[in-house]
Amino acid sequence: MNARRAPWLLTMLLVMVSLPILILYTWLFVDSVSVSAPGSIWPKAFTLKNWRFLFETIEGHASIWRVTFNTLVFALCTVTVVIGTSVTAGYALSRLKFPFRAQFLGGVLILHAFPSISLIVAIFLMLRLLGLYDTLAGVILVKASLEIPFGIWVMKGFYDSVPWEIEMAGIQDGASRFQVWRRLILPQVQPAIAALAIFSFIAAWSEFILPLVLAPSSETQLLSVYLAGLLTDDYLSDYGLLKAVGLFYILPVMVFYLFTQDKLMNIYSGATKG
Amino acid sequence: MRKLIQALPLWFMLPAGICVAVFYVIPVLLTFVFSFTTMGADTGILGNRYVLSETALVRLRDTDLDPMLVQRLGEKAFIFDKAGLEALAGSAVSPATVREIERRLAGKVYRSEKRLFADLKRLKNRPRSFTERKTIARAVKRTVRDREFASARELRAALSELGIHPRKHELRTILDLTNTSWRWTLSNYRELVSSQFSGKILANTAFYVALTLVFNVGFALALALMTFYLPQGQAKFFRAVWLIPRISPSVIYVLLWKWFTYDSGFMSYFLGFVGVPAQNFLLEYPWTFVVIINGMVGASMGLIIFSSAMHAIPKPLLYASQVDGAYPMQQVLRIILPQLRWPILFITCYQTMSLLTSFEYILLTTAGGPGFYTTEVWALYAFHSALSNYFGNFRYGYGATLSVVLVIFGIALSLLYLRFFNFRKLVVDPPIEN
Repeated sequence: MNARRAPWLLTMLLVMVSLPILILYTWLFVDSVSVSAPGSIWPKAFTLKNWRFLFETIEGHASIWRVTFNTLVFALCTVTVVIGTSVTAGYALSRLKFPFRAQFLGGVLILHAFPSISLIVAIFLMLRLLGLYDTLAGVILVKASLEIPFGIWVMKGFYDSVPWEIEMAGIQDGASRFQVWRRLILPQVQPAIAALAIFSFIAAWSEFILPLVLAPSSETQLLSVYLAGLLTDDYLSDYGLLKAVGLFYILPVMVFYLFTQDKLMNIYSGATKG
Repeated sequence: MRKLIQALPLWFMLPAGICVAVFYVIPVLLTFVFSFTTMGADTGILGNRYVLSETALVRLRDTDLDPMLVQRLGEKAFIFDKAGLEALAGSAVSPATVREIERRLAGKVYRSEKRLFADLKRLKNRPRSFTERKTIARAVKRTVRDREFASARELRAALSELGIHPRKHELRTILDLTNTSWRWTLSNYRELVSSQFSGKILANTAFYVALTLVFNVGFALALALMTFYLPQGQAKFFRAVWLIPRISPSVIYVLLWKWFTYDSGFMSYFLGFVGVPAQNFLLEYPWTFVVIINGMVGASMGLIIFSSAMHAIPKPLLYASQVDGAYPMQQVLRIILPQLRWPILFITCYQTMSLLTSFEYILLTTAGGPGFYTTEVWALYAFHSALSNYFGNFRYGYGATLSVVLVIFGIALSLLYLRFFNFRKLVVDPPIEN
């Protein structure tokens, strides 16, 4: 067939179907810094008034800085818990011998595939019982726990690809298993730790349902819940303001995405290929 | 030290194990437990709770209790004891009045506001305004009505404060009928089967999952095939574009769609040129956009998996078919698609499960509306029943029952995955210990 023209047609077709996404995100940026005439979508003048939420609190809503601080604490703590637990458990499941290892691995695999969001009612009641309801600590522990099976799975995959010879050599030289792990193996899987950290940071930063249900009050509010509150507020159909808040919120995610795209793609496909 | 090292696997597994057990595995079990209870916002979660509500009083009237006693249970009293006077001193009432009340009314008990006000008017430093009299009344008012008591002892103490001393058998009746704690029940499951909404929700869910699945997997496959025939750079660009919805927070993604579809948004503007009146497309065609919004997020995952599976097809196979004169269409149908059987099956199963259980995008887009349960799906219905509805009657037990269906489904499909992955290969014994 006409091999030359085919790619052109394909490109056109792809641009067509991808157009909605391109439009959505282009106008996210455009509308946040411009005004357009009513009934029109084209920017008329440059403005920064949509960004006023950075300096003044929107009436009836929490302060943006408070909420941003909460979100940052939430995301960083979640990353810490996920990394701390997955790095060790992944190693144990990949390299150490202990009773019920196969069962543990099977359990991790099942939980990794299990749709955790269907547990939301039980988790809510459980946090109420534990007195962790409406605290950041509570949401952090829940979010991290739901991410851990995935984290263990990714880490185990990476540990599996480290050659056994490194550990053998370490043991031969008289190091203990712990020292071997700490000194020889951990440096080998550093890229994996970085990838997992970025992935869980984005996942936590974007999380919506868990904070909505488990930490709704204004002291513990996260950016996602804050923005959803603005969105459902009937008095605020000011899309310029909404998009400015949205852009502010999505910025860290986009920065990570632009600079670490390949790594993230790997983890997305790697996680499902097993 | 040796012992510590020998216990290394234990120490390495423990932190993850505790987190997962407490916040993941136990909730799975608790979902089942809660589904057999009448738990809800009106019963609380922990053990006993006693409330002398209006309904409880009506029920008490129907018992053989002394009618006078029942009436007094519902009454309020104004008591100038130590606690009452302290509350008064802390209120906005003028200090002179408070001092005179402390001197002249200490220890008194009034059964009606009228009589209290009459006595207040007789004071030398009498309260100037009706508001001030009300403030005094509020400070010394005592009642057991509509208050929550965590134990039988608390309730009895509050009663005796009011001068009500029921006998033992009377107290037992009162406790029985005011106890609002949850009970074990099978009624949730009965309701699940008999409720008039279940059918509607089930139909919605099937419709939503089937349609989104077709959109989602079809799109992913089409995109993967198209990018496969493009030069590397372009292919990478389009894959990156399609990953954006997945990577961006759900709230922002839905916010952008709301702007796209609202009555002076993008669609209304452009369709206005061809004579379509401006309208809120999201509310006019809720299902269309629920499917598109979810489908576009889901497509990226299939796109990535299918793309990498296509690149894993041995190149000679493709070259050979080209040399033999196969059209690209024939190449797709005869060589590529057969090779993608397993990835397609995997993505279909995976997406089915996540579509069935996730409700985030629908909640943000239409919240089940517009109107009555128009786009309400099973997972969202569970969420609404238990945790968020307009009426505030959160029914934890019923929500858990609805979740049980999803949990069972999730467990079944997850077990199926164990067969997908080559599990035996993943648990090779470590050579060091052997």
